[in-house]
Amino acid sequence: MVTAMTKLVKVIIDDREYDFPAGMNLVDAAKQVDVTIPVFCYHPKMKPVGMCRMCLVEVGNIQKDRATGEVLLDDSGNPQIRWMPKLQTACTMNVSDGLVLRSTSKAVDEARRNVVEFLLTSHPLDCPICDKGGECPLQNQTMEYGPGESRMNFEDKKHLDKHVPLGDLIFLDEERCIQCGRCVRFQAEVAGDDVLAFHERGRDLQIITVSDPGFDTYFSGNTTDICPVGALTTTDFRFGARPWEMNSVPTLCNHCPVGCNTSASTRLDRDFGGKTMIKRIMARQNEQVNEIWMCDKGRFGHHFTRSEDRLLQPMVRAAGGSLSRETWADAVAAAAKLLGDANGSVAVIAGPSATNEDLFTLKQLAAGVGSTRLGAWPPTHAGADLVAKVGVGKGTNLSNLGKGDAVLVIATDLEEEAPIWRLRVKTAHDRGAYVVVANARKTRMDDFADAVTMYQTGHAATAFADLRKQHPEVAERLINANNLVVFAGAEGLTLDGSRALMQACANFLIETNHVGRANNGLVGVFPGANAMGQHYLGFSPEATRDIIANPPKVLILAQADVVADDPAAAAWLSKVETVISLSLFDDEATRQAKVVLPVQSFAERDGSYTNGERRVQRFYTAQGPIGEAIPAWQAVARIAEKLGQGKARLSAAQVMNDIVAAIPAFAGCKYSDLAKVEAQFPQVGGDDLYYGGTSYKNTGGLGVQIASAADNGEAVALGDVKADAVKGDLIVVPTVRLYNRERVFQASEAQLMAARVAAPYVEINAEDAARLAIHDGDMVQVSAGAAQPVKVRAHVNGAAPKGTVLLPRNLQQTATALTIAAGTVTKV
Amino acid sequence: MKTMNIIYREKDIPNIREYDVYVANGGYDALKKALGQKPTEVIDTVKASNLRGRGGAGFPTGVKWSFIPQSEPIKYVVVNCDESETGTFKDRQIIENNPHQLIEGALIAAYAIQATAVYIYLRGEFWDQAFDLDARIEEARKGGMVGKNIAGSGYNCEVYTHVGAGAYICGEESALLESLEGKLGQPRVRPPFPANKGGGLYGEPTVINNVETLANVPWIITNGPDAFKKIGTEQSAGTKIFCVSGNVEKPANYEVPMGTTIRELLFDLAGGISGGRQIKALLPSGGSGPIIRINGNDDPILDTPCTYEDIAAKTGSILGSASFIVIDETVDITWVASKVTKFFKHESCGKCTPCREGTYWLDKTLDRIMRGEAKESDVDLIANVARNMQGVTLCALGDFAANPIIHTIKNFPEDFKSHIGAAKTPAAPKTAAAAGD
Ligand SMILES: Cc1cc2nc3c(=O)[nH]c(=O)nc-3n(C[C@H](O)[C@H](O)[C@H](O)COP(=O)(O)O)c2cc1C
Ligand code: SF4
Ligand code: SF4
Ligand code: SF4
Ligand code: FES
Repeated sequence: MVTAMTKLVKVIIDDREYDFPAGMNLVDAAKQVDVTIPVFCYHPKMKPVGMCRMCLVEVGNIQKDRATGEVLLDDSGNPQIRWMPKLQTACTMNVSDGLVLRSTSKAVDEARRNVVEFLLTSHPLDCPICDKGGECPLQNQTMEYGPGESRMNFEDKKHLDKHVPLGDLIFLDEERCIQCGRCVRFQAEVAGDDVLAFHERGRDLQIITVSDPGFDTYFSGNTTDICPVGALTTTDFRFGARPWEMNSVPTLCNHCPVGCNTSASTRLDRDFGGKTMIKRIMARQNEQVNEIWMCDKGRFGHHFTRSEDRLLQPMVRAAGGSLSRETWADAVAAAAKLLGDANGSVAVIAGPSATNEDLFTLKQLAAGVGSTRLGAWPPTHAGADLVAKVGVGKGTNLSNLGKGDAVLVIATDLEEEAPIWRLRVKTAHDRGAYVVVANARKTRMDDFADAVTMYQTGHAATAFADLRKQHPEVAERLINANNLVVFAGAEGLTLDGSRALMQACANFLIETNHVGRANNGLVGVFPGANAMGQHYLGFSPEATRDIIANPPKVLILAQADVVADDPAAAAWLSKVETVISLSLFDDEATRQAKVVLPVQSFAERDGSYTNGERRVQRFYTAQGPIGEAIPAWQAVARIAEKLGQGKARLSAAQVMNDIVAAIPAFAGCKYSDLAKVEAQFPQVGGDDLYYGGTSYKNTGGLGVQIASAADNGEAVALGDVKADAVKGDLIVVPTVRLYNRERVFQASEAQLMAARVAAPYVEINAEDAARLAIHDGDMVQVSAGAAQPVKVRAHVNGAAPKGTVLLPRNLQQTATALTIAAGTVTKV
Repeated sequence: MKTMNIIYREKDIPNIREYDVYVANGGYDALKKALGQKPTEVIDTVKASNLRGRGGAGFPTGVKWSFIPQSEPIKYVVVNCDESETGTFKDRQIIENNPHQLIEGALIAAYAIQATAVYIYLRGEFWDQAFDLDARIEEARKGGMVGKNIAGSGYNCEVYTHVGAGAYICGEESALLESLEGKLGQPRVRPPFPANKGGGLYGEPTVINNVETLANVPWIITNGPDAFKKIGTEQSAGTKIFCVSGNVEKPANYEVPMGTTIRELLFDLAGGISGGRQIKALLPSGGSGPIIRINGNDDPILDTPCTYEDIAAKTGSILGSASFIVIDETVDITWVASKVTKFFKHESCGKCTPCREGTYWLDKTLDRIMRGEAKESDVDLIANVARNMQGVTLCALGDFAANPIIHTIKNFPEDFKSHIGAAKTPAAPKTAAAAGD
């Protein structure tokens, strides 16, 4: 990492002198001063391998007097340069003092032409039917540097398999592959899932997958972005459209708190009634958030937006009767009437995909009818308020964590809950950061940890508070770390347990002086894309708990699929007199609502989310509308207008202006501010397709990070850690799987991912299984707390600790336990 | 003309492969002597002897050892017994017949750099030899020469064998290290070099030497560097094993002092050209070095002394691993080029573009030339393709693969011309042993 401390060295590139931080890669350095050295195998996010030989340049060194260190001059007074006898691969060199580079010369030009010629000897040149055609580095560099004609005898070209499924999601065209190894290296070095490899040798060298199932990773799609040719294509997009027919729309992933910046490639499409349709989603560079990566859930999980289950028009229930289609005006009027008549007995529960604008408008509507009861859904994770206080400091970039720094990951399965954080903590680990994982069970993150500490199920807070006693050597490393980031989830915790853990984390960070600074502080691994937005706009899980306990007369459900999530929802919902549902889907809650208002997904509208690192980021309208659905904030604003609360805003941007005026945290978050971009390193995308992938370049904005209270210099007090643990012989811990059957991921059309979603299962310890006479693969019935028992398959695989069973949520239609509870498992 | 057996001592002492016989004839005395010296003294002795690496590049062995940073706690010696160069079969004879001399030499090297272990990497076909070596290592261990507290000196060093999966490229030192680590055998980017931290086996500083190189070391320690330098020439000290194959009456390994002439080797030792025919060409460094044109048995070029310096200066080729493939007047050089190219196409690791694509391209085009389907311009094409491969690849195999094309076309243009136009049946050499069909 280049820091202000890094020494500068003088380098001459094409006869001009520049200063660069010592140790910078030569290709990157040249690129920074607009000297393009063409590459295929090199990628600034991975170690150089010198395979393709495209980056050959002339390199020399300025000669200095050994004794005095003075530059030796030739007869005409110019520095003497000793040129290396052979061309050198720039990608495998770093800048050093006195280095001289010639990026073009006869020899260099010839070498490049030859490399391109070699690469094309057996290349199929099927650009007209290649997905990469139009945004292909090989195409571009052939135009720029290659010979105009092929000297290879056509019959001598090597023919290979063109449709090799590496897994369910990615195909390999062996003929197009130029053996650059980027995909293999990405999987090994960046993702940490070593599932691709080279097979055979010489001209037979090919990419294969070495996992079963094939290409088993959450990050496979990234390889299609960085593949410099059309060798890797996604099952989702291949042969779907040509790059030049599509527009690139900056958007955000709405699946998890990372908030990956993405880019939707869209075009008018006959498969979508001639409307603008998202054809694919790619990562958009935001070095502080997702770098240039994203996970496969975000990339392929956009089909739900076009699902057949989408609600198409507003509906109102006649007294005691069924729902019938209404105009927006009538539906709005009906909702307004119900709210107006509620006498202030109103509450809102907003789901994790509701945007900042939606939440603010809801808050105002509630206030207008005399309610401050704003619940966040799902009510599983507490402590967003603490994150607002001691969350990671402004300017935090996980890529800056390395030697001397530390990361603690506690009570979360980071791989499943926030994949890109898992990837970024893994690379921090590779750079030398000390990574500690604490949980009651093994998780994938353990593979990238320096220390793994296990605690008894449910006892995260006390375990952490006792860390100094129990694991002094680990505590020591965390306390003394230059920088410390804590990722805390709520796995295996009740809502109170979650609060206790968050408080313990906050206390530790405050006590060890790891708050109020960049690259230090707390990150809540919360569900969904906007839990921090929920907090800043007044929504809390505690309020949800209160709403459930004391049902209001009128409940507004805003994109909260409560029945699918919570086995108890049907019961508590029945105590609410009136439900007004703002929903994408025809879900169970909607079916019992009095007023149903179809709202738009992130795809069809603009808006903003506040990610887990408190970065407010905006997304733009990518896809054509569905039915009569409108943005949730608009529906809410129209109800408020009907209630006489003031004129509805005309745009999301205006709503944000209101937020900026009303909520101090959002100062500086006007849409124009959120849209600001600045140069990022490495430079990717752009016209020269330098590293492959057109949509990388961020033109939509980098967002604005909200300052934490500690950032603002406010003193933050320690709090009491109130331990809370569930007791029982067998405790059922709900876990999260990235690929699940939630409507916002799996809804109908998303068959693409169906094969990747696990069949419902429960994980049970071998000892417990033996005691209960359960064998691996048996069907068992699991009951937990008050939830309806569910039938699932038992996995006796060593994943669950003794006395605890792990029951992933959302793998089946029936809701399973939302939070930890005592339960039973019996063989059926 | 006589051979001189510093390495092939089995020729003078039967059963020297056995530990007891080896020890009875002064075996492991050199190791004991070295263990009584400071490691740097051992390095200095080897430096002073001018011993050069026998693996092909001829790098001064003592200098190579001195690159190893003494401060690193973990270091390795790796013995290169991949022996895959076309026409090379000398190391096999050493490990089969005088294995203890290799083990002793490797342990001296290990002591000199204070290595913790020696790995002997053998080509994939050397299974039987590897098992036999394992038995020899155990013999030496029983004798106190391997493992803990070697010869009571307090120095510990393990010796392991490892068999590759059968790839020429795994003889290239950095690919060898990858393979030894259990990875795909492809060369590494350098720097860091094997001697540096980060560049060697498992990232630790490592000396890699050829079998023959190390087998010289005990003799040097016992007899001193000056005695060694008295054999051969200043720049090419000692004996060298020449693997003579092809169109000679007595193909075999011959160990002779450096400076022996090509004529002495081929005619005095190897019995002359097969069937009394005339010599046409010589590949002195197997398929990977430039071919030498020799205009019959009276050509004065045959009087060139076999040293690194003379072969380079007087023949335009290289001594390399001294794998002398002899080609007589009946052999079509185009056929030789196509044969050798098939080898390199098969053995290219595929990591870098010019070699991966170039060897395939050359091979396909040569096939067409051999079938009589090519145009004259195809000969120019392959010459140009080969030149485009030179100097731009990740490892030397790319250069090796280009050499045969460039030099066969340059030295034997008429052989290529004869294939243009009329369809021809491939011209096979008269003796099957030639060029190892
Ligand atoms: C393609 C290639 C193949 C090689 N094969 C061998 C081999 O089979 N045996 C060997 O000793 N050296 C081989 N070498 C040379 C080694 O890289 C290395 O230089 C040698 O083992 C060093 O030992 P030395 O200094 O004792 O000669 C090969 C080199 C290349 C580029
Ligand atoms: S599939 Fe693409 S990224 Fe992977 S090696 Fe081939 S060309 Fe490179
Ligand atoms: S890591 Fe999270 S935000 Fe990023 S693409 Fe995946 S699900 Fe979306
Ligand atoms: S030159 Fe050939 S053998 Fe060497 S790295 Fe390149 S492809 Fe592999
Ligand atoms: S070798 Fe440098 S970019 Fe491929």
